[in-house]
Order: sequence, then structure tokens, then C-alpha cells
Amino acid sequence: MATRHPEYRGYCRKKVIFTIGFMVAVVFLSMFSLKVGFYETTYSEIFDVIWKNLNGMEVPRQDQVIIWESRVPEAIVAILTGAALSVGGAVMQTVLRNPLADSYTMGISSGAFFGVTIAAIAGVSLIPGIGSELATIINAFVFSLIPVAIVLMISRNRKMTPTKIILVGIAIMYVFSAVSTLLMLTADSETLADVYSWRVGTLSNIAWNHVGVILVFVVAGIAYLMFNNRKYNLMMAGDNCAQSMGIDTKRTTLTSMTVVSLITAAVVSFTGTIGFVGLVGPHIARIFVGSESKYLIPASAAFGAAFLLIADCISRVSGTYGLPVGVVSAIIGCPLFVIILVKMRSKEWA
Amino acid sequence: MTEVKSTGNHDLKQDYRREIGKKTLFIGGSLVSLVVLVILSCAVGTGYGFFETYQIIVDRLMGVEPSNITEWWADHYVCENILPGIVAAIIAGAGLSLGGAVMQSMMGNPLADPYTTGISSGACFGAVLSITMGLSFGTMTGDVGIVAMAFVGALIPSILIILLSRFVNSSPSTLILIGTAISYFFNALVTYVMVISDADALQDAFTWQIGAVSDIHWGDLPLMLIVVSISSILILLVSNKLNLMMMGDDSAKTLGLDVDNFRTLCLVLISVLIASIISFTGIIGFVGLIAPHITRYIIGGDNKFVIPAGMLMGAIILCLADLLSRCLLDFGNVPIGVVMSFIGAPIFLYLIVRSKSDKEVF
Repeated sequence: MATRHPEYRGYCRKKVIFTIGFMVAVVFLSMFSLKVGFYETTYSEIFDVIWKNLNGMEVPRQDQVIIWESRVPEAIVAILTGAALSVGGAVMQTVLRNPLADSYTMGISSGAFFGVTIAAIAGVSLIPGIGSELATIINAFVFSLIPVAIVLMISRNRKMTPTKIILVGIAIMYVFSAVSTLLMLTADSETLADVYSWRVGTLSNIAWNHVGVILVFVVAGIAYLMFNNRKYNLMMAGDNCAQSMGIDTKRTTLTSMTVVSLITAAVVSFTGTIGFVGLVGPHIARIFVGSESKYLIPASAAFGAAFLLIADCISRVSGTYGLPVGVVSAIIGCPLFVIILVKMRSKEWA
Repeated sequence: MTEVKSTGNHDLKQDYRREIGKKTLFIGGSLVSLVVLVILSCAVGTGYGFFETYQIIVDRLMGVEPSNITEWWADHYVCENILPGIVAAIIAGAGLSLGGAVMQSMMGNPLADPYTTGISSGACFGAVLSITMGLSFGTMTGDVGIVAMAFVGALIPSILIILLSRFVNSSPSTLILIGTAISYFFNALVTYVMVISDADALQDAFTWQIGAVSDIHWGDLPLMLIVVSISSILILLVSNKLNLMMMGDDSAKTLGLDVDNFRTLCLVLISVLIASIISFTGIIGFVGLIAPHITRYIIGGDNKFVIPAGMLMGAIILCLADLLSRCLLDFGNVPIGVVMSFIGAPIFLYLIVRSKSDKEVF
């Protein structure tokens, strides 16, 4: 390989340092999130519980239930969800060259929510004869692909501006949420409360047996996207450029969007709709590491994870009923969305 | 030469009169169909026939006392249970459609309406705060207090829109996206307020939030009616200015209109209007979007006619939605807000896809 210019190496080193810094922050934040809450503990107690559990030793019942069985999986899923949504947002923004793209604004979440609703309320599953949890996930996954497919179809046939593509996504979201709302009205109040908490997005129902599935999907998905990072850099330059550099843009778009939908569906079918992480994560990461996918993907993953951990901590300490994570992320994310929209005009994205 | 010119003028005048006649005819026709629709809507699901229902309503209006228990029961059922909801649907439809027509002309934006710009969600948040937490201003209590809070909530998105359209050169779709973001934001807050205020009441709150007219009583109507009538008169008085606004800010300015102040005034008026409706019905989307579009499609873009005809069209649409909401399912009512999303969301999608460029209007 040709020798690199020292100045460029300096740039790269700075980006790597930022990314590693974010990751270290995630570790510290996750420690902090294990401590935060109404049940008082100390860090040494937490380490003790984790250590004993990893080595198969007995732990006091209360510590076991609250820390090991509730807070630890919650923190892990917060990290995975934040990373998945944020990487999904980063890749979508790059591939579609649309700064507003995110699993939420493109309608993925609304499709997934529709799938969950029909599984939970109407009891319809696409593959009959499987357990209800698996049915929910499969439904969420399949239906989450529909909005993206529609948006891609419409935006390919007509020349459209980024904002208009997002508007199409929003319109599709309206359609899906109308159907979901109709279903929700037929539900009894208990099912409604379940589905509603899914809709707002919450991490408080997470248990250990959910972690495995999410982990496999998210790690495999991010690894695949990371593997393709060079393609995304070329895609940023435009379809024509990318094609002349030997990239099958249609196929890359299709496969990347499918993978993004897959990891999004895997997390949202457990956590519910958590909006704007996919928007906030990559945009903040881009401020620090720039748009090169090799650095952007890990940095957004780390930042998204940190963001969701913070949102989870806020949600846990706020009030008796707790502010759902989805609400926290919406309250932080919406103003940011507006700022991006307004600034977009003057930037290279426009 | 002069002969040709004069006949040309004559034709032009005749054409113009014919156009006006057509528009008036359309308004008259809408009015008649609205009345028929109201009676039909009262008749559906009640077990009484069309003319029977008509008789009941006329008797009530004429002050004829029901002579026996069966008649009294019929009168009570139709006039106390069904009719208030329908009248509310008419007022709300007219008001929301008025808001939509004004916003579309004023912002030169075919996608604008109180729902897509976030004003409805802001108003809803204010109303929810007032209903669940009893927040209000000083001595204002009851309905007026709720409407006042809803108005303050509605002002937040309005002010944001005013500021953005003044200082940032934003395209129509950017403004709508900002509106959508604002409505996400307020929806999140509304959810939070609902969850903390009473966990058991989630189902009620949920139904209220998506917009329903089935729980409305006669006592709720006067405030809505007064606000909607006053605003419609005010808007009709300035409909010429709205026509100027449709030509774009620069043209309107050269024709002597103080564009910025006019826009601000209109948005404040719309905020009051929407606040007074949303406080009683909850969020009903898309009426303000589609009613003016249908009207413009039939009678053209002159606001002098679009506004009254659009209001009638909005009333008809919402009345139809109410009718559908009561007979769509056998096991209960579908809230009118859901019916409207079913009708409106595809039309919204069509409007986005159809418009060719970002700047294209109407």
C-alpha cells in the first residue's frame, strides 16, 4: 500500500481517537445506568453482582432481581438498540444521500408497529404454528419492509428532493398508523396498554432471553454494513459516479436497505418505536469524524448507544410511572431534526 | 372591428357571469346535500326512517312537544344523542377546512393544513394539560380555560412557522416536515402527560386524542360555533388579500399588502380557531387538507368562493366521516379521526407524489 500523507494520517488518528473516546464513554455510561434508579446501590455492589453471576455464585435475591435480571439486560439492549438504529440511520442517509433519512422518518417503525399490532391484537401471524414472541418479530420484520419498499419505488420512478422522499415516508406512516389505531380500538384495555407502551418505546420490559436474538441480528448486521463501507463512500458521490467505479448501485441500495430494515426490525420488535436516534446519532458523529463511512459507522454506533443509555437513565429517574425512552428521544430528537432541516439548505446535502 | 370587440366583451362578461353562477350553484348544491346528509346521518343506526327523522328534527325546531312516550323517546334519542355529534362534525369540518384553505393560500403551500403544520398537536397538548392538570389562566375556568390553554399551545407551532418562513427561505415541503417534527414532539409530551396523570384512563385519553365527536353535548357547541362563525366572517372580509398572497410574497407586496403582518394575523386567528375546535373534538386530521383541494378542483382558486364552499365541503366530508364512523363496525364506533386518516392519508400521498417540483403550488 502506498504511504499515506502525514497530515491525512493525523486526520485519521483524530477520528479513531474520537470513536474510541465515544466507546469508552459508552462503557462508563452503562456502569452509571446500572446504578441509577430507585433501588440504591454502589458500584462495588454492582461489580460484585456481575462477577458472581458470571462465575455462577449465589447473590442476594433482591440484588439478583433488580440488577442482574433487570438493569443489566436493559443496559445491553439500550446499547444494541442505540447502535443499531444509529448505524441504520447513517447507512440510509449515505445510500439515499438524504440527511433526513432514518428508520423512523422512512416509516420502517410504523410498518413494524403494524406487524406487532396485528400479531398482538388480531393474533395473525404470517407463519402459523409458532410461538407468539417469534410471530411478533417475524410480523414486525416483514411489515417493516413494506414502507421502505414503497418509498424506494416511488422515489426511483420520479425525481424527488430529499424532503419529498421523507414526506412520502410520513404519508405511508399515516396510512399504517391509521390501520394500527383501528386495531388498537378493538383491543381490551390490557392489550391496549401493552401495545401502547410498545408504540411509545420502552426498554423496561427487556429480559435476558431477548438479548440473544437482538445481539445476533445487530452484530451481524453492523458487521455486514461495516464490510461494505467502501461502497457507501462511493455511493455518496452519486449513482453515476459509483456506477463508473464498478458498483452495482441498485443492488447495493437494495441489500443495504434490507439489512438496515432487518436490524431495525430486530430491535424495534422488542423495544417499540424509538424515534430520532437514527437521526441524532449519525449527525452528531458526523460533526466529529466526518462523512467517511469507515469511521462514521462505528462512531455513530457508539454515539447512538451513548444517547440511548442517557435517555434510558433519564426515563428511569423521571416520575413514578417513568418517562418512556421513546418520549425522551423524541423530546431531544425533534428540535435537532428541525435544526438539521433549516441548516440543510446551506450545506452540501441540499 | 368594434363589432368583434364588443361581442368579445359580451362573451367575456357572459362567461364570467356563468362562472359565478356555476360557483353559486355549487355552493347551493353543497348546502342542500349537507342538509340531506345530516338527516340521513341521523336516520342511520337509529332504526327510524328518513322522513321520520326529518319529522322529529322539524318538530324539535318548531317546538312541538312530543305527545306520547314513544315520540318523546325518539325525540330524545335523535336530538340529544345523535344530533350534537353531527352538528359538532359540521362546525369542526367547516372550521378546519377554513384553517386549511387560509394556510394553503397564505403560505403558497398545497400541503399546509392545521394538522400537517403541527398546530393541531400544539392545541391538543394545551388542552390536555388543562384537562388533566387543571392548568389555566387566572379566573378563566371550564371550557374557556381549556380553549385558552389550547390557544397558547397552538401558538407555539404558529410562531415557529412565522419565524421560519420569515428568516429562512424554506420550501413548502420543508415547512411541512418541520410541522411534522413539531407534532411528534407534542405527541410525545401528550403521551407523557396522559401516562402520568391517570394510568387507568389511558383508553379514554387515547380515544379522545385521536378525535371523536360521539361524546359531545349541546353545551359544548356554542363556544365552537361562535369562534368558527366570527373567524369565517373575518376571513371572508380579507379573502381578496388572500388571493394576493397566493401570487407570492413579492407580487402581494407590489400590490400594496403588508405581507408579514397579514400572515401573522392570519396565523393567530387560525390558532384561536383550531384551539376552540380541538379542545372539544381532539385531533381530526386531513379535513383542512382535502376539503379546499376538492373545492378548488371544482370551482377554481378564487378565495372569495373557495372559503365558503370549502367550509361546506369540509362539513360534508366530516359529516360523511361521522356517518362512516358509526356504521363501519358493528361492535362500536370508529373515532372520526381514524376515518379521516383513512381517507386523508392516501390523498396526502397523492398530493406529494403529483406535485412535480418542490416549489410547485396548486
